[in-house]
Amino acid sequence: MIAAGTADMATPPRIPLRFARDSALIAGRNLRVLRKNPGRLIYPLVQPVVLLVMFVSVFGNLALTGHGGPYREFLIPGVIVENAALTAPTSGLALLRDASSGLADRFRSLPMSRASVLIGRLLTDAIVFATQAVLLVGAGYGFGFRIIGGPLAALGIVAATVAFGLAFAVLSAWLGLLINDPETAERVLFFPAIAVAFVSSAFAPVALLASWMQPIARVNPVSATCGVIRALASGGAVGFPLLELGCWVAGLLLVPGVLAVRRWQAVGS
Amino acid sequence: MNDTTPAIDAAGVRKSFGRVTALDGVDLTIASGSLTALLGPNGAGKTTLVRIIATLSRPDAGRVRVLGLDVTTQGAQVRAHIGLTGQYSGLEEALSGWDNLVLMGRLAGLGRRAARARAGELAGAFGLEGAVERMVRTYSGGMRRRLDLAASLMARPGLLVLDEPTTGLDPGSRQQLWAVLAELRTEGTTMLLTTQYLEEADRFADVVHVLNHGKVIASGTAADLKSRSGVTSLDEAFLALTGSGSQREAVAPGGTA
Repeated sequence: MIAAGTADMATPPRIPLRFARDSALIAGRNLRVLRKNPGRLIYPLVQPVVLLVMFVSVFGNLALTGHGGPYREFLIPGVIVENAALTAPTSGLALLRDASSGLADRFRSLPMSRASVLIGRLLTDAIVFATQAVLLVGAGYGFGFRIIGGPLAALGIVAATVAFGLAFAVLSAWLGLLINDPETAERVLFFPAIAVAFVSSAFAPVALLASWMQPIARVNPVSATCGVIRALASGGAVGFPLLELGCWVAGLLLVPGVLAVRRWQAVGS
Repeated sequence: MNDTTPAIDAAGVRKSFGRVTALDGVDLTIASGSLTALLGPNGAGKTTLVRIIATLSRPDAGRVRVLGLDVTTQGAQVRAHIGLTGQYSGLEEALSGWDNLVLMGRLAGLGRRAARARAGELAGAFGLEGAVERMVRTYSGGMRRRLDLAASLMARPGLLVLDEPTTGLDPGSRQQLWAVLAELRTEGTTMLLTTQYLEEADRFADVVHVLNHGKVIASGTAADLKSRSGVTSLDEAFLALTGSGSQREAVAPGGTA
């Protein structure tokens, strides 16, 4: 018997529980794919450390006008944030791959929560961003990067990186679904990630940037995240950069988040 | 829903993609427990209609009720009662067949234990016991199609919608898949399928609907259609009803309209 059987019929839980459960199931599926295909872990975990080693080895010994310590202390937080910006588009691309395959129709024909594919993706990404941040802080330690604020500050650095990464991941998810072509999206999504880091305080203080860049750099979420990480590392006050980062993260999670869920539903309709 | 409620009841369904009209006032009723084939030339609107029934797309006008539920206003309830096997494999290629079955079962609302029990039942029923631990990307086309169908049956849907389930399969794999569909019919599962293979519709379908230019132009048993057209094969009846050649292709997402 195929239609009948011994298992219980589906008994859907209430909507909030269903949303949490479905999101966790999708995140579990994404993590299982990574676990069963370890080759896919090499790029997100090895590439950031190589990036940091290259940046610090090439530029770390430069002198920086107006900065108290060696440039590498300034540079390492910038590399951590730039790496998160470069990783975020993979979230949009993964979602677009699902949307472009028969899996999207399968998911959308199931009685599952509509936002859970995006939220499940973000839960997976949060783990990837956190792991990358820990690896980069560890690698940075080898180059003299120190967190004066102690373990709580270290936790704060990881949290700020994850929050920034997730906000950009949501943005990339929406843009990816809007572009709706994996090849084009791959080319389009990575360029802004590079550009946004250069027009910020990631690699140089805002005052040293070209004059046309400075107004953009001051409000850039990359600058805010770098500001939070530098303040936490040096034991300074995080106040304004943290407020700025919070506003950016809330805005990006909410607006592109809702638009991405709507777009996911609309693809193919 | 009671026993007399049709599995699908569509009236005046219209859908356009830009300036191309995919469905131009479709009226269709499908009885519970039947195996119904939807035939039509490429671009006739079959996939568009199937996607509306499966709640993947909304009609521009008209009404579609599935098991008594409106697809536009009660989409979530409809999805709890249908299974879909689309034209493209709805499987995660980078996971095993087992992982796919359990995941789809759990997303359909089954608990962990129930999903595992059901995955075991279906892996056995579909002859996949020996392969279920392997990655889906290593499967043959026939195995992938059977697993896809099994995944859509995890929560025992009241209506199974199949969009060209045998397209691209070799004769042996098609025969295996039809054996499973025949068993499902015996067990009383309502099925709606589109197919390019008219001999399959002739052999297995209880009722055949022919779609042309976005409208249902003929309905009945295969024998009825042949007799009405005064021919001996469903191929000839199909050509007599639709004229030769394909429709202009409507750009329907997810397949030919």
